[in-house]
Amino acid sequence: MVTRRLAAGLARLQDGVQIAVVATVLVAPVIWMVTAGFKDSDAVTAMPPQLLFHPTLQNFTTVLTTMPFLRFGLSSLIVAGGSTVLGIVLGVPAAFAVSWNRMHWPALLMLAARMAPGALFLLPWFVMFSAIGAIGSFWVLIVTHAAITLPLALWTMLPFFDALPRELVEAARIDGCSDVAVLWRVVLPLVGPGLAVSVILCFVFAWNYFLFSLVLSDIHSRTLIVAAFNFVGEGVTDWGALMAAATLIALPPVAMTLLGQRWLVAGLTAGAVKG
Amino acid sequence: MLLPGLGFVALMIGFPLLYTLWLSLQHFSFGSAPRFAGPGNYARLLQDPKFWEGLRVTFALYALSLALQLVAGLYLALLLNRTRLLRGLLRTLLVSPFVMPPVVVGMMWLVILDPSLGIANWLLQTVGIPPALWLASPQWVVPTIAMIDTWQWAPFVALILLAGLQTLPTDVFEAADIDGARGWALLRRVTLPLLAPSIVTAATLRSVDLLRFFDIIYITTQGGPGDASQTLNIYAFKQGFVFLDIGYASALMVTLTAIVIGAVVVLVRLRRATQW
Repeated sequence: MVTRRLAAGLARLQDGVQIAVVATVLVAPVIWMVTAGFKDSDAVTAMPPQLLFHPTLQNFTTVLTTMPFLRFGLSSLIVAGGSTVLGIVLGVPAAFAVSWNRMHWPALLMLAARMAPGALFLLPWFVMFSAIGAIGSFWVLIVTHAAITLPLALWTMLPFFDALPRELVEAARIDGCSDVAVLWRVVLPLVGPGLAVSVILCFVFAWNYFLFSLVLSDIHSRTLIVAAFNFVGEGVTDWGALMAAATLIALPPVAMTLLGQRWLVAGLTAGAVKG
Repeated sequence: MLLPGLGFVALMIGFPLLYTLWLSLQHFSFGSAPRFAGPGNYARLLQDPKFWEGLRVTFALYALSLALQLVAGLYLALLLNRTRLLRGLLRTLLVSPFVMPPVVVGMMWLVILDPSLGIANWLLQTVGIPPALWLASPQWVVPTIAMIDTWQWAPFVALILLAGLQTLPTDVFEAADIDGARGWALLRRVTLPLLAPSIVTAATLRSVDLLRFFDIIYITTQGGPGDASQTLNIYAFKQGFVFLDIGYASALMVTLTAIVIGAVVVLVRLRRATQW
Protein backbone atom coordinates (compact mmCIF):
# COMPACT_ATOMS: atom_id res chain seq x y z
CA MET A 1 0.00 0.00 0.00
CA VAL A 2 2.67 2.44 1.09
CA THR A 3 4.96 1.65 -1.84
CA ARG A 4 2.08 2.06 -4.24
CA ARG A 5 1.25 5.51 -2.88
CA LEU A 6 4.92 6.37 -2.97
CA ALA A 7 5.11 5.31 -6.61
CA ALA A 8 2.03 7.39 -7.46
CA GLY A 9 3.50 10.39 -5.67
CA LEU A 10 6.77 9.95 -7.52
CA ALA A 11 4.96 9.79 -10.87
CA ARG A 12 3.14 13.01 -10.02
CA LEU A 13 6.40 14.67 -9.14
CA GLN A 14 7.95 13.54 -12.43
CA ASP A 15 4.99 14.96 -14.36
CA GLY A 16 5.25 18.18 -12.39
CA VAL A 17 8.91 18.58 -13.30
CA GLN A 18 8.16 17.91 -16.97
CA ILE A 19 5.31 20.42 -16.98
CA ALA A 20 7.62 23.03 -15.48
CA VAL A 21 10.28 22.38 -18.15
CA VAL A 22 7.71 22.53 -20.96
CA ALA A 23 6.18 25.76 -19.65
CA THR A 24 9.66 27.31 -19.39
CA VAL A 25 10.61 26.39 -22.96
CA LEU A 26 7.34 27.82 -24.27
CA VAL A 27 7.30 31.02 -22.30
CA ALA A 28 10.95 31.95 -21.65
CA PRO A 29 11.67 33.33 -25.17
CA VAL A 30 8.55 35.48 -25.01
CA ILE A 31 9.39 36.78 -21.54
CA TRP A 32 12.89 37.54 -22.80
CA MET A 33 11.43 39.54 -25.70
CA VAL A 34 8.92 41.48 -23.59
CA THR A 35 11.39 42.33 -20.82
CA ALA A 36 14.05 43.36 -23.36
CA GLY A 37 11.56 45.97 -24.55
CA PHE A 38 11.66 47.53 -21.09
CA LYS A 39 15.46 47.49 -20.70
CA ASP A 40 17.95 50.21 -21.52
CA SER A 41 20.65 49.46 -24.08
CA ASP A 42 23.22 48.27 -21.52
CA ALA A 43 20.82 45.94 -19.76
CA VAL A 44 19.61 44.25 -22.98
CA THR A 45 22.97 42.67 -23.78
CA ALA A 46 24.18 42.26 -20.21
CA MET A 47 25.23 38.65 -19.50
CA PRO A 48 24.35 37.08 -17.14
CA PRO A 49 20.87 38.46 -17.89
CA GLN A 50 19.63 40.96 -15.33
CA LEU A 51 16.50 39.56 -13.78
CA LEU A 52 16.07 42.69 -11.68
CA PHE A 53 16.45 45.84 -13.74
CA HIS A 54 15.07 49.34 -13.80
CA PRO A 55 12.24 49.20 -16.33
CA THR A 56 12.22 52.05 -18.81
CA LEU A 57 9.65 53.14 -21.39
CA GLN A 58 12.38 54.72 -23.47
CA ASN A 59 12.28 51.98 -26.15
CA PHE A 60 8.56 52.40 -26.66
CA THR A 61 9.02 56.16 -26.99
CA THR A 62 11.77 55.53 -29.56
CA VAL A 63 9.50 53.22 -31.57
CA LEU A 64 6.57 55.61 -31.50
CA THR A 65 8.58 58.73 -32.35
CA THR A 66 11.32 57.67 -34.78
CA MET A 67 9.02 55.89 -37.19
CA PRO A 68 5.35 56.37 -38.08
CA PHE A 69 4.44 53.35 -35.98
CA LEU A 70 0.85 54.42 -35.40
CA ARG A 71 0.27 54.98 -39.12
CA PHE A 72 1.62 51.50 -39.90
CA GLY A 73 -0.66 50.22 -37.15
CA LEU A 74 -3.62 51.95 -38.76
CA SER A 75 -2.71 50.34 -42.12
CA SER A 76 -2.58 46.92 -40.46
CA LEU A 77 -5.94 47.58 -38.86
CA ILE A 78 -7.52 48.67 -42.16
CA VAL A 79 -6.15 45.65 -44.04
CA ALA A 80 -6.88 43.04 -41.37
CA GLY A 81 -10.25 44.54 -40.47
CA GLY A 82 -11.34 45.09 -44.07
CA SER A 83 -10.35 41.62 -45.23
CA THR A 84 -12.04 40.09 -42.17
CA VAL A 85 -15.32 41.85 -42.98
CA LEU A 86 -15.06 40.87 -46.66
CA GLY A 87 -14.15 37.26 -45.83
CA ILE A 88 -17.05 36.94 -43.38
CA VAL A 89 -19.62 38.62 -45.62
CA LEU A 90 -18.71 36.31 -48.52
CA GLY A 91 -17.73 33.20 -46.57
CA VAL A 92 -20.55 32.82 -44.06
CA PRO A 93 -23.45 32.71 -46.56
CA ALA A 94 -21.35 30.40 -48.74
CA ALA A 95 -20.74 28.10 -45.77
CA PHE A 96 -24.47 28.07 -45.02
CA ALA A 97 -25.32 27.17 -48.61
CA VAL A 98 -22.67 24.43 -48.68
CA SER A 99 -23.87 22.98 -45.39
CA TRP A 100 -27.58 23.20 -46.25
CA ASN A 101 -27.26 21.68 -49.72
CA ARG A 102 -24.65 19.15 -48.54
CA MET A 103 -22.31 20.13 -51.33
CA HIS A 104 -18.69 19.06 -51.31
CA TRP A 105 -16.97 20.67 -54.24
CA PRO A 106 -17.16 24.34 -53.20
CA ALA A 107 -15.70 23.48 -49.81
CA LEU A 108 -12.92 21.41 -51.35
CA LEU A 109 -12.20 24.21 -53.81
CA MET A 110 -11.78 26.64 -50.90
CA LEU A 111 -9.58 24.14 -49.07
CA ALA A 112 -7.34 23.90 -52.13
CA ALA A 113 -7.19 27.70 -52.21
CA ARG A 114 -6.08 27.67 -48.58
CA MET A 115 -3.34 25.11 -49.26
CA ALA A 116 -1.71 26.66 -52.31
CA PRO A 117 1.48 28.68 -51.66
CA GLY A 118 0.71 32.39 -51.49
CA ALA A 119 3.30 33.33 -54.13
CA LEU A 120 1.34 31.30 -56.69
CA PHE A 121 -1.36 34.01 -56.59
CA LEU A 122 0.98 36.84 -55.81
CA LEU A 123 2.81 36.61 -59.17
CA PRO A 124 -0.29 37.16 -61.34
CA TRP A 125 -1.74 39.66 -58.86
CA PHE A 126 1.48 41.65 -59.05
CA VAL A 127 1.34 41.70 -62.85
CA MET A 128 -2.39 42.53 -62.93
CA PHE A 129 -2.40 45.22 -60.26
CA SER A 130 0.76 46.82 -61.65
CA ALA A 131 -0.91 47.04 -65.05
CA ILE A 132 -3.75 49.13 -63.61
CA GLY A 133 -1.43 51.07 -61.30
CA ALA A 134 -3.14 49.83 -58.15
CA ILE A 135 -0.12 48.56 -56.21
CA GLY A 136 -0.10 50.09 -52.75
CA SER A 137 -3.79 50.88 -52.56
CA PHE A 138 -5.76 49.65 -49.57
CA TRP A 139 -8.46 47.99 -51.66
CA VAL A 140 -5.84 45.75 -53.31
CA LEU A 141 -4.46 44.75 -49.91
CA ILE A 142 -7.97 44.07 -48.59
CA VAL A 143 -9.13 41.89 -51.51
CA THR A 144 -5.86 39.92 -51.59
CA HIS A 145 -5.96 39.22 -47.86
CA ALA A 146 -9.60 38.19 -48.28
CA ALA A 147 -8.23 35.27 -50.32
CA ILE A 148 -6.88 34.09 -46.94
CA THR A 149 -9.89 35.01 -44.81
CA LEU A 150 -12.68 33.74 -47.08
CA PRO A 151 -11.67 30.03 -47.06
CA LEU A 152 -10.92 30.30 -43.35
CA ALA A 153 -14.37 31.75 -42.63
CA LEU A 154 -16.06 29.08 -44.73
CA TRP A 155 -14.28 26.18 -43.07
CA THR A 156 -14.67 27.41 -39.51
CA MET A 157 -18.41 28.03 -39.99
CA LEU A 158 -19.19 24.69 -41.65
CA PRO A 159 -19.23 22.49 -38.52
CA PHE A 160 -21.42 25.03 -36.71
CA PHE A 161 -23.97 25.06 -39.55
CA ASP A 162 -23.81 21.28 -39.90
CA ALA A 163 -24.77 20.93 -36.22
CA LEU A 164 -28.02 22.92 -36.60
CA PRO A 165 -31.28 20.94 -36.78
CA ARG A 166 -32.63 21.06 -40.34
CA GLU A 167 -36.24 21.32 -39.14
CA LEU A 168 -35.50 24.79 -37.86
CA VAL A 169 -34.58 26.14 -41.27
CA GLU A 170 -37.37 24.24 -43.00
CA ALA A 171 -39.93 25.70 -40.61
CA ALA A 172 -38.68 29.21 -41.29
CA ARG A 173 -38.85 28.55 -45.04
CA ILE A 174 -42.45 27.38 -44.78
CA ASP A 175 -43.26 30.56 -42.87
CA GLY A 176 -42.18 32.40 -46.00
CA CYS A 177 -38.72 33.62 -45.07
CA SER A 178 -36.30 34.29 -47.92
CA ASP A 179 -32.90 32.59 -47.84
CA VAL A 180 -31.22 35.75 -46.66
CA ALA A 181 -33.81 36.26 -43.94
CA VAL A 182 -33.43 32.66 -42.77
CA LEU A 183 -29.69 33.14 -42.45
CA TRP A 184 -29.90 36.57 -40.85
CA ARG A 185 -32.84 36.11 -38.44
CA VAL A 186 -32.89 32.40 -37.66
CA VAL A 187 -29.50 30.82 -38.23
CA LEU A 188 -26.91 33.46 -37.34
CA PRO A 189 -28.22 34.11 -33.82
CA LEU A 190 -27.69 30.40 -33.12
CA VAL A 191 -24.07 30.21 -34.30
CA GLY A 192 -22.75 33.16 -32.32
CA PRO A 193 -19.71 31.31 -30.93
CA GLY A 194 -18.81 30.05 -34.40
CA LEU A 195 -19.04 33.54 -35.80
CA ALA A 196 -16.81 34.83 -33.01
CA VAL A 197 -14.12 32.22 -33.72
CA SER A 198 -14.37 32.94 -37.42
CA VAL A 199 -13.89 36.67 -36.93
CA ILE A 200 -10.98 36.15 -34.53
CA LEU A 201 -9.18 33.68 -36.80
CA CYS A 202 -9.67 35.82 -39.90
CA PHE A 203 -8.35 38.90 -38.14
CA VAL A 204 -5.35 37.11 -36.61
CA PHE A 205 -4.32 35.45 -39.87
CA ALA A 206 -4.75 38.62 -41.92
CA TRP A 207 -2.86 40.68 -39.32
CA ASN A 208 0.02 38.19 -39.27
CA TYR A 209 0.24 37.57 -43.02
CA PHE A 210 3.51 38.84 -44.39
CA LEU A 211 3.95 37.92 -48.05
CA PHE A 212 1.17 39.92 -49.73
CA SER A 213 1.85 43.21 -47.95
CA LEU A 214 5.57 42.76 -48.56
CA VAL A 215 5.00 43.02 -52.30
CA LEU A 216 1.70 44.87 -52.70
CA SER A 217 1.97 47.68 -50.14
CA ASP A 218 3.80 50.97 -50.62
CA ILE A 219 5.03 53.65 -48.25
CA HIS A 220 1.47 54.91 -47.64
CA SER A 221 -0.14 51.55 -46.94
CA ARG A 222 2.77 49.70 -45.31
CA THR A 223 1.56 47.40 -42.57
CA LEU A 224 3.24 46.92 -39.20
CA ILE A 225 4.48 43.47 -40.19
CA VAL A 226 6.33 44.79 -43.25
CA ALA A 227 7.58 47.84 -41.34
CA ALA A 228 9.00 45.53 -38.67
CA PHE A 229 10.70 43.43 -41.34
CA ASN A 230 12.33 46.55 -42.82
CA PHE A 231 13.38 47.52 -39.31
CA VAL A 232 15.28 44.21 -39.08
CA GLY A 233 16.61 44.50 -42.65
CA GLU A 234 18.13 47.91 -41.99
CA GLY A 235 20.37 46.19 -39.48
CA VAL A 236 18.97 48.04 -36.49
CA THR A 237 21.14 47.17 -33.52
CA ASP A 238 18.90 48.87 -30.99
CA TRP A 239 17.61 45.60 -29.57
CA GLY A 240 15.47 47.25 -26.93
CA ALA A 241 13.51 49.18 -29.54
CA LEU A 242 13.33 46.11 -31.78
CA MET A 243 11.83 43.99 -29.02
CA ALA A 244 9.48 46.79 -27.93
CA ALA A 245 8.15 46.96 -31.51
CA ALA A 246 7.85 43.16 -31.69
CA THR A 247 5.89 43.11 -28.45
CA LEU A 248 3.45 45.78 -29.65
CA ILE A 249 2.89 43.97 -32.97
CA ALA A 250 2.23 40.64 -31.30
CA LEU A 251 -0.21 42.11 -28.79
CA PRO A 252 -3.43 42.35 -30.90
CA PRO A 253 -3.43 38.77 -32.29
CA VAL A 254 -2.37 37.19 -28.98
CA ALA A 255 -4.94 39.16 -27.00
CA MET A 256 -7.75 38.29 -29.44
CA THR A 257 -6.83 34.63 -29.41
CA LEU A 258 -6.83 34.38 -25.66
CA LEU A 259 -10.40 35.67 -25.73
CA GLY A 260 -11.51 32.91 -28.08
CA GLN A 261 -9.04 30.11 -27.42
CA ARG A 262 -11.67 27.65 -26.23
CA TRP A 263 -12.99 27.15 -29.78
CA LEU A 264 -9.86 27.96 -31.66
CA VAL A 265 -8.28 24.58 -32.26
CA ALA A 266 -11.55 23.03 -33.40
CA GLY A 267 -11.86 25.88 -35.89
CA LEU A 268 -8.35 25.53 -37.25
CA THR A 269 -8.49 21.79 -37.75
CA ALA A 270 -12.04 21.64 -39.13
CA GLY A 271 -10.78 21.64 -42.71
CA ALA A 272 -8.40 18.77 -42.29
CA VAL A 273 -10.77 16.52 -40.37
CA LYS A 274 -13.62 16.86 -42.82
CA GLY A 275 -11.56 17.07 -45.99
CA MET B 1 -25.79 32.63 -51.35
CA LEU B 2 -22.89 30.67 -52.68
CA LEU B 3 -22.50 32.91 -55.69
CA PRO B 4 -20.75 35.98 -54.23
CA GLY B 5 -18.17 33.80 -52.51
CA LEU B 6 -17.58 31.62 -55.55
CA GLY B 7 -17.43 34.68 -57.78
CA PHE B 8 -14.75 36.15 -55.58
CA VAL B 9 -12.76 32.92 -55.60
CA ALA B 10 -13.03 32.64 -59.38
CA LEU B 11 -11.86 36.23 -59.82
CA MET B 12 -9.12 36.35 -57.18
CA ILE B 13 -7.88 32.75 -57.18
CA GLY B 14 -9.19 30.80 -60.18
CA PHE B 15 -8.31 33.31 -62.87
CA PRO B 16 -4.87 34.19 -61.39
CA LEU B 17 -4.13 30.48 -61.18
CA LEU B 18 -4.73 29.99 -64.89
CA TYR B 19 -2.79 33.17 -65.53
CA THR B 20 0.20 31.76 -63.60
CA LEU B 21 0.07 28.58 -65.68
CA TRP B 22 0.07 30.71 -68.83
CA LEU B 23 2.89 32.94 -67.49
CA SER B 24 4.97 29.86 -66.75
CA LEU B 25 4.97 29.16 -70.50
CA GLN B 26 6.28 32.64 -71.36
CA HIS B 27 9.64 34.33 -71.41
CA PHE B 28 8.52 37.31 -69.38
CA SER B 29 10.74 39.72 -67.52
CA PHE B 30 8.60 42.32 -65.82
CA GLY B 31 8.51 45.49 -67.93
CA SER B 32 9.16 43.80 -71.27
CA ALA B 33 6.64 42.10 -73.53
CA PRO B 34 5.98 38.41 -72.85
CA ARG B 35 7.17 35.97 -75.52
CA PHE B 36 5.88 32.43 -75.84
CA ALA B 37 8.42 29.92 -74.53
CA GLY B 38 6.50 26.66 -74.51
CA PRO B 39 8.05 24.40 -71.92
CA GLY B 40 11.24 26.49 -71.98
CA ASN B 41 11.02 27.62 -68.35
CA TYR B 42 10.51 24.04 -67.18
CA ALA B 43 13.48 22.84 -69.22
CA ARG B 44 15.58 25.62 -67.69
CA LEU B 45 14.46 24.59 -64.22
CA LEU B 46 15.65 21.02 -64.72
CA GLN B 47 19.13 22.30 -65.57
CA ASP B 48 19.26 24.94 -62.85
CA PRO B 49 21.47 23.76 -59.96
CA LYS B 50 19.80 26.34 -57.69
CA PHE B 51 16.45 24.67 -58.32
CA TRP B 52 17.81 21.29 -57.24
CA GLU B 53 19.55 22.85 -54.26
CA GLY B 54 16.29 24.60 -53.34
CA LEU B 55 14.44 21.32 -53.63
CA ARG B 56 16.98 19.64 -51.35
CA VAL B 57 16.72 22.44 -48.75
CA THR B 58 12.92 22.36 -48.94
CA PHE B 59 12.78 18.65 -48.23
CA ALA B 60 15.53 18.71 -45.58
CA LEU B 61 13.72 21.46 -43.69
CA TYR B 62 10.38 19.73 -44.20
CA ALA B 63 11.48 16.32 -42.99
CA LEU B 64 13.42 17.62 -39.99
CA SER B 65 10.72 20.07 -38.86
CA LEU B 66 7.88 17.60 -39.31
CA ALA B 67 9.69 14.85 -37.39
CA LEU B 68 10.57 17.24 -34.53
CA GLN B 69 7.06 18.63 -34.33
CA LEU B 70 5.30 15.29 -34.38
CA VAL B 71 7.55 13.84 -31.68
CA ALA B 72 7.42 16.97 -29.48
CA GLY B 73 3.69 17.35 -30.09
CA LEU B 74 2.99 13.74 -29.18
CA TYR B 75 5.10 14.05 -26.04
CA LEU B 76 3.24 17.21 -25.01
CA ALA B 77 -0.17 15.72 -25.74
CA LEU B 78 0.55 12.57 -23.70
CA LEU B 79 1.88 14.67 -20.83
CA LEU B 80 -1.15 16.94 -20.80
CA ASN B 81 -3.51 14.01 -21.12
CA ARG B 82 -2.22 12.27 -18.02
CA THR B 83 -1.83 15.19 -15.64
CA ARG B 84 -4.24 17.89 -14.57
CA LEU B 85 -1.53 20.13 -13.17
CA LEU B 86 -1.95 23.71 -14.40
CA ARG B 87 -4.05 22.51 -17.31
CA GLY B 88 -5.75 25.86 -17.99
CA LEU B 89 -2.50 27.81 -17.89
CA LEU B 90 -0.75 25.30 -20.14
CA ARG B 91 -3.50 25.48 -22.74
CA THR B 92 -3.05 29.23 -22.87
CA LEU B 93 0.72 28.84 -23.18
CA LEU B 94 0.26 26.29 -25.97
CA VAL B 95 -2.01 28.54 -28.01
CA SER B 96 0.21 31.62 -27.79
CA PRO B 97 3.23 30.70 -29.99
CA PHE B 98 1.34 29.90 -33.16
CA VAL B 99 -0.82 33.01 -33.16
CA MET B 100 2.21 35.26 -32.83
CA PRO B 101 3.08 36.92 -36.15
CA PRO B 102 5.95 35.01 -37.85
CA VAL B 103 7.76 38.34 -38.19
CA VAL B 104 7.73 38.71 -34.42
CA VAL B 105 8.85 35.12 -33.87
CA GLY B 106 11.69 35.70 -36.34
CA MET B 107 12.79 38.94 -34.66
CA MET B 108 12.66 37.34 -31.23
CA TRP B 109 14.86 34.40 -32.20
CA LEU B 110 17.27 36.59 -34.18
CA VAL B 111 18.05 38.45 -30.97
CA ILE B 112 18.14 35.33 -28.77
CA LEU B 113 20.38 33.43 -31.22
CA ASP B 114 22.72 36.31 -32.04
CA PRO B 115 26.18 34.65 -32.27
CA SER B 116 28.05 37.23 -30.21
CA LEU B 117 25.53 38.91 -27.90
CA GLY B 118 22.59 36.49 -27.78
CA ILE B 119 21.48 34.76 -24.63
CA ALA B 120 21.46 31.30 -26.25
CA ASN B 121 25.24 31.23 -26.64
CA TRP B 122 25.70 32.63 -23.14
CA LEU B 123 23.60 29.74 -21.79
CA LEU B 124 25.62 27.22 -23.81
CA GLN B 125 28.90 28.61 -22.54
CA THR B 126 27.65 28.62 -18.97
CA VAL B 127 27.14 24.87 -19.14
CA GLY B 128 30.45 24.40 -20.96
CA ILE B 129 29.33 23.94 -24.57
CA PRO B 130 31.14 26.00 -27.23
CA PRO B 131 28.98 28.78 -28.75
CA ALA B 132 27.28 28.23 -32.12
CA LEU B 133 26.72 30.47 -35.14
CA TRP B 134 23.08 29.32 -35.41
CA LEU B 135 21.40 31.16 -38.30
CA ALA B 136 24.76 32.41 -39.59
CA SER B 137 26.17 28.91 -40.06
CA PRO B 138 25.63 27.13 -43.40
CA GLN B 139 25.57 23.74 -41.64
CA TRP B 140 23.29 24.74 -38.78
CA VAL B 141 20.89 27.18 -40.40
CA VAL B 142 18.36 24.52 -41.50
CA PRO B 143 18.28 22.74 -38.11
CA THR B 144 18.02 26.13 -36.39
CA ILE B 145 15.03 27.19 -38.50
CA ALA B 146 13.47 23.77 -37.92
CA MET B 147 13.91 24.35 -34.18
CA ILE B 148 12.27 27.79 -34.35
CA ASP B 149 9.34 26.41 -36.34
CA THR B 150 9.03 23.54 -33.87
CA TRP B 151 8.89 26.00 -30.97
CA GLN B 152 6.05 27.77 -32.76
CA TRP B 153 4.06 24.79 -34.10
CA ALA B 154 4.66 21.73 -31.88
CA PRO B 155 2.06 23.20 -29.47
CA PHE B 156 -0.45 23.25 -32.33
CA VAL B 157 0.28 19.59 -33.10
CA ALA B 158 -0.06 18.85 -29.38
CA LEU B 159 -3.52 20.44 -29.21
CA ILE B 160 -4.76 18.38 -32.18
CA LEU B 161 -3.37 15.16 -30.69
CA LEU B 162 -4.74 16.03 -27.24
CA ALA B 163 -8.21 16.46 -28.75
CA GLY B 164 -7.70 13.08 -30.48
CA LEU B 165 -6.57 11.39 -27.26
CA GLN B 166 -9.63 12.62 -25.40
CA THR B 167 -12.02 10.99 -27.87
CA LEU B 168 -10.38 7.54 -27.75
CA PRO B 169 -12.61 4.76 -26.36
CA THR B 170 -11.76 4.13 -22.68
CA ASP B 171 -12.76 0.45 -22.74
CA VAL B 172 -9.80 -0.40 -24.97
CA PHE B 173 -7.45 1.12 -22.41
CA GLU B 174 -9.19 -0.71 -19.56
CA ALA B 175 -8.77 -4.00 -21.42
CA ALA B 176 -5.12 -3.22 -22.12
CA ASP B 177 -4.62 -2.43 -18.43
CA ILE B 178 -6.12 -5.76 -17.40
CA ASP B 179 -3.84 -7.51 -19.89
CA GLY B 180 -0.94 -5.79 -18.21
CA ALA B 181 0.08 -3.44 -21.02
CA ARG B 182 2.21 -0.60 -19.62
CA GLY B 183 4.53 2.14 -20.75
CA TRP B 184 6.20 1.66 -24.12
CA ALA B 185 4.18 -1.42 -25.12
CA LEU B 186 0.91 0.37 -24.36
CA LEU B 187 1.99 3.39 -26.37
CA ARG B 188 3.19 1.39 -29.37
CA ARG B 189 0.50 -1.28 -29.53
CA VAL B 190 -2.60 0.59 -28.35
CA THR B 191 -2.31 4.38 -28.17
CA LEU B 192 -0.41 5.10 -31.38
CA PRO B 193 -2.54 2.92 -33.70
CA LEU B 194 -5.71 4.47 -32.24
CA LEU B 195 -4.30 7.97 -32.48
CA ALA B 196 -2.95 7.49 -36.03
CA PRO B 197 -5.76 9.43 -37.80
CA SER B 198 -5.14 12.50 -35.62
CA ILE B 199 -1.40 12.20 -36.20
CA VAL B 200 -1.94 12.13 -39.96
CA THR B 201 -4.27 15.14 -39.71
CA ALA B 202 -1.61 17.11 -37.85
CA ALA B 203 1.04 15.95 -40.33
CA THR B 204 -1.12 17.08 -43.26
CA LEU B 205 -1.67 20.57 -41.89
CA ARG B 206 2.01 20.98 -41.08
CA SER B 207 3.14 19.53 -44.43
CA VAL B 208 1.21 22.15 -46.36
CA ASP B 209 2.81 24.95 -44.33
CA LEU B 210 6.31 23.46 -44.25
CA LEU B 211 6.61 22.73 -47.97
CA ARG B 212 5.77 26.38 -48.74
CA PHE B 213 7.76 27.67 -45.76
CA PHE B 214 8.51 31.35 -46.31
CA ASP B 215 7.99 33.89 -43.54
CA ILE B 216 10.49 32.97 -40.86
CA ILE B 217 13.22 32.12 -43.38
CA TYR B 218 12.78 35.37 -45.26
CA ILE B 219 12.83 37.38 -42.04
CA THR B 220 15.82 35.71 -40.41
CA THR B 221 18.16 34.72 -43.27
CA GLN B 222 16.47 35.54 -46.62
CA GLY B 223 17.79 32.20 -47.82
CA GLY B 224 21.35 32.61 -46.55
CA PRO B 225 24.10 32.25 -45.56
CA GLY B 226 24.92 31.68 -49.24
CA ASP B 227 21.95 29.61 -50.40
CA ALA B 228 22.00 27.34 -47.35
CA SER B 229 18.39 28.02 -46.35
CA GLN B 230 16.98 28.93 -49.76
CA THR B 231 13.84 26.82 -50.11
CA LEU B 232 12.00 26.61 -53.43
CA ASN B 233 9.49 29.18 -52.23
CA ILE B 234 12.24 31.67 -51.31
CA TYR B 235 14.03 31.03 -54.61
CA ALA B 236 10.84 31.54 -56.61
CA PHE B 237 10.09 34.72 -54.67
CA LYS B 238 13.53 36.14 -55.44
CA GLN B 239 13.28 35.19 -59.12
CA GLY B 240 9.88 36.87 -59.33
CA PHE B 241 10.09 39.95 -57.16
CA VAL B 242 13.81 40.69 -56.94
CA PHE B 243 14.97 39.71 -60.45
CA LEU B 244 11.47 40.28 -61.91
CA ASP B 245 11.75 37.13 -64.04
CA ILE B 246 8.02 36.46 -63.81
CA GLY B 247 7.93 33.59 -66.33
CA TYR B 248 10.59 31.52 -64.59
CA ALA B 249 9.21 32.32 -61.12
CA SER B 250 5.78 31.11 -62.30
CA ALA B 251 7.26 27.81 -63.49
CA LEU B 252 8.96 27.39 -60.09
CA MET B 253 5.74 28.14 -58.20
CA VAL B 254 3.70 25.76 -60.36
CA THR B 255 6.26 23.05 -59.62
CA LEU B 256 6.19 23.75 -55.88
CA THR B 257 2.38 23.70 -55.90
CA ALA B 258 2.43 20.33 -57.65
CA ILE B 259 4.71 19.02 -54.89
CA VAL B 260 2.35 20.33 -52.17
CA ILE B 261 -0.67 18.75 -53.91
CA GLY B 262 1.23 15.47 -54.26
CA ALA B 263 2.04 15.44 -50.54
CA VAL B 264 -1.57 16.19 -49.61
CA VAL B 265 -2.87 13.40 -51.84
CA VAL B 266 -0.48 10.91 -50.24
CA LEU B 267 -1.43 12.05 -46.72
CA VAL B 268 -5.17 11.93 -47.42
CA ARG B 269 -4.74 8.32 -48.62
CA LEU B 270 -2.71 7.58 -45.51
CA ARG B 271 -5.49 9.01 -43.37
CA ARG B 272 -8.03 6.63 -44.93
CA ALA B 273 -5.63 3.73 -44.35
CA THR B 274 -5.25 4.58 -40.67
CA GLN B 275 -8.99 4.95 -40.05
CA TRP B 276 -10.47 2.42 -37.65
